[in-house]
Amino acid sequence: MSSSRIRSPSKFTLEFGLAFPLFAAARLVLSLTNLPHVLKYDHQLSSPLTSYLNLQEGIYLFKNGVDPYSGGTFRHSPLFLSLFTTILPATGVGSSILWTLGDASGAWALVQIWRARQRISSSQRDSLIAALYLFNPYLFLPNLAHSTSSFDNALMLFSLMFASQGRASASLLVLSFLVQISPSSILILAPVLLLLITSPVSRLASPQPLTSSGVQFRKSGLLLVEFIAYFTVFTLISALVVGNWIWIPQTWGATTNLPDLTPNTGLWWYFFTEMFDHFRPMFLMVFSIHLFMYIAPICIKFQYDPLFAAFLLIGILGTFKSYPSLSEPGLFLSMITIFPELYPYFRHPIITALLHFHASLLMPLFNSLWLNQGTGNANFYYASTLVFACSNGAALIDCIWAGLRIAIGEEETGYTVVQE
Amino acid sequence: MLASWKARLFVGLSLSLSVVKASGEQFDEQLTIQSLRDGKVASTFSFKTLLKGVSPRDPRTLGAEDASQHYNVFPLALGQILREYAVTELHLSLNAGRWNYDRWGYPKEPAVGTGAELWAWMGDGGQVSVDHRWMGLRNALAGLFCASLGSLDEQRTTSPDRSFEPEGMLPDWGVPHRIRHATLPSENVCTENLTPFLKLLPCKSLSGIASLLNPHRLFDADWHGMGIHVLWREDEGVEVRLTFQSVSDPVRSSLGRKRDWSFRSLFDRTIDRQCPIAKTSEITVALPSEGSYSINPEPSVVNAGKASFDVATIDKPLDVALQWSGDFQYVSGFDKPITPFSVQRTLRGSSQAHGQLSVIVKNHQNSTQQVVYLETMPWLVQFYLHTLEIRVDGVRRDGIFSDIAYIPAVPHSRPATFQGILTLPPSSALHLTMDVTKSFLRYTEHRPDAQRGWDLPPAVLTVLELDSNTSTARHPVNPRIYTSTLLVDMATPDFSMPYNVIIFTCSLIAFIFGSVFNLLTRKFVVVRID
Repeated sequence: MSSSRIRSPSKFTLEFGLAFPLFAAARLVLSLTNLPHVLKYDHQLSSPLTSYLNLQEGIYLFKNGVDPYSGGTFRHSPLFLSLFTTILPATGVGSSILWTLGDASGAWALVQIWRARQRISSSQRDSLIAALYLFNPYLFLPNLAHSTSSFDNALMLFSLMFASQGRASASLLVLSFLVQISPSSILILAPVLLLLITSPVSRLASPQPLTSSGVQFRKSGLLLVEFIAYFTVFTLISALVVGNWIWIPQTWGATTNLPDLTPNTGLWWYFFTEMFDHFRPMFLMVFSIHLFMYIAPICIKFQYDPLFAAFLLIGILGTFKSYPSLSEPGLFLSMITIFPELYPYFRHPIITALLHFHASLLMPLFNSLWLNQGTGNANFYYASTLVFACSNGAALIDCIWAGLRIAIGEEETGYTVVQE
Repeated sequence: MLASWKARLFVGLSLSLSVVKASGEQFDEQLTIQSLRDGKVASTFSFKTLLKGVSPRDPRTLGAEDASQHYNVFPLALGQILREYAVTELHLSLNAGRWNYDRWGYPKEPAVGTGAELWAWMGDGGQVSVDHRWMGLRNALAGLFCASLGSLDEQRTTSPDRSFEPEGMLPDWGVPHRIRHATLPSENVCTENLTPFLKLLPCKSLSGIASLLNPHRLFDADWHGMGIHVLWREDEGVEVRLTFQSVSDPVRSSLGRKRDWSFRSLFDRTIDRQCPIAKTSEITVALPSEGSYSINPEPSVVNAGKASFDVATIDKPLDVALQWSGDFQYVSGFDKPITPFSVQRTLRGSSQAHGQLSVIVKNHQNSTQQVVYLETMPWLVQFYLHTLEIRVDGVRRDGIFSDIAYIPAVPHSRPATFQGILTLPPSSALHLTMDVTKSFLRYTEHRPDAQRGWDLPPAVLTVLELDSNTSTARHPVNPRIYTSTLLVDMATPDFSMPYNVIIFTCSLIAFIFGSVFNLLTRKFVVVRID
């Protein structure tokens, strides 16, 4: 149903005010079925750090007086622990509504980012953007599995939305919360700070160095201090909730030390399953640092459009972070909808689409063959995650190519565009 | 001339024996044989050495020079280990097979869990920590008994003090005592473990009851296991009890379906001479309650359905034999459980990622029973406690499982300890289920036969005697019941291609990294096509 709509955007003229509640209601109906109970076991939809089962186990242990961070099952942030043990529902219909709400608010934030980027209050495209967020299988399947990565995505979008609207404190507050629950999201900090001192408007077609437009870099220093302050407060709250500091190695430490080698869609798990013990610390360090190597080049190259830089770094996260599920690459793919100016300049969109198609068919198949049927082998699933990483990388390269190529414009006859 | 030399030797020997007895060491040996309801025969050897008036070593004296150890009967190799690591109480058992509680009842020696089990009580305090001494202890015992006890490392060690209370006494040194417990269900007992076991006996297997310990027959038995138990009692001293239990099946080995047995048929040996050091050397045969039978030779004493033979006085060679007049017939209800409750534990689910632990406890009595349930699960399988569900006769019930103590497992290091008290309603079946998740191991953590799966230790259930006066002060008085071990199928990576994986993944990352930086560092330019 959703795919046919994607293919014919021109016919898609539903009013956002009508369409959005409709989409959200459809998603709610889906999540009220038996699907969450079936999908919550799937490793591709939630990693050990975002798994609904582990969250419930942590809540159970916390309520029964056992420190959930003393074991190896629960790796969610203490903030989640405190929220789910007090105000948020963690079971039954309540949780279905909550998770649907998470995705719906994410879609709404994405539409707001689009509007801020276009400097309009509404557009024909709003409903399409919301639909492509709410009905992206990479996003709604993890959501149905009640993976907390849905909240990571929503918070990511809210942080970018507030930054696009110029609301610095709100943006940094949300971002600091996000970094608490998903530390590798710190990658987005630099483009968010840039976004706060510039504007979200697309300047991809007319690149200009920031220095020439008189931007006050000093302000970003203050914003950084503000971010650190929020982050410290959240850290202290977490420590207060748990009563000790063991949670830091259990939650943040897990993203760099990879104690749980449960298969996921990323590149880390099999690499470190097969790693020689004496090389493990070295490669853990290399893989962790590798993520951060993209921040500066992307932010420098796309300094004139920090929202696009943030979008690229989200793509980096979806490809290379330590405990990804389908929802991180899903966020990147759904965010492509707010950059329609790129579409004519994609380098190899068909190949990228086919790679994604290929990977999304192979991954569940090989995962099931290996772990459930017992007829496959770990290499099969590993190979399909490699294809998935290829497809994510291809999408990323497509977007970077288009983002740079757009500045040259259409090719004229007798001329060609090449890389110097 | 020869006779006088012999006489002198005898006098000398008896003099030296009197020295042993005077120095406070005593050795007793006992063999108990019982015919079971299903025609099998349970034999229990017990060799007890008592070191009178001696206390275990206080751990606070570990830094100082220890008192010299001079034993005549007490096994020095074991004594040195006990002193070196200041162990107060020690229990090591190596078993093969599953003890069938339903048919055979409680065993004479309670430690019948499949595989190796080691637990020790040690005083805390002093310079050397309990965990360090525990490590030394298991490695020393591994060397002594030629068993893989060194694998009972921190990944298998727990401290379940409620299910494994000391059998002896703990000295009051003013420091607390700690328990360390570990099981290795895949460890099997074999001849190489029996040889060092026999070396600890004063008469080896040359004379006395120990001469029946014929490895060819013992390890052919349906169930067999050995145990080493060290404990201390204030009024007696340090006691070392070496035990060997076996359950043989004469019906299987006889053509005529007879359950007759003799030393010759069970062990392929007879007792030719007594062990001169043994103070008592007794063979007890539980006489059948029904059927016509004959026992040879004539027992020394028959008392309360038990025939006793004193090896010292009876004619040798001694070959005790019990013969029935008719063929063996299974009596009706031979399968009816004779323990007050029975346990069945399984791991369900075919997935290599998730499963469900299912425990069925059946109460055979008409009264409520309370049992301590203990799981010491390696981190390979992690519990989801929030999915714990208890049904009694199919109806979901709360409040059946109380006093839950849970120490979660830590990946790559610590096992989980899950302990609680189950209240079994009268004549009912209690069904406990809990979802579990199976861990994914690094390829170096898998064992060479990775596809076989991993053996998981047995759960232990201990009956609590319900005290009518106080409901809180409860002590396990009945023996432990070990459930069967489980075999868990873990997902395996491909062991042949660590290099390939490193190369593939690194190439892919390098490819994406290179492409991204290629785009970011190079400019787009317009070129005229000539």
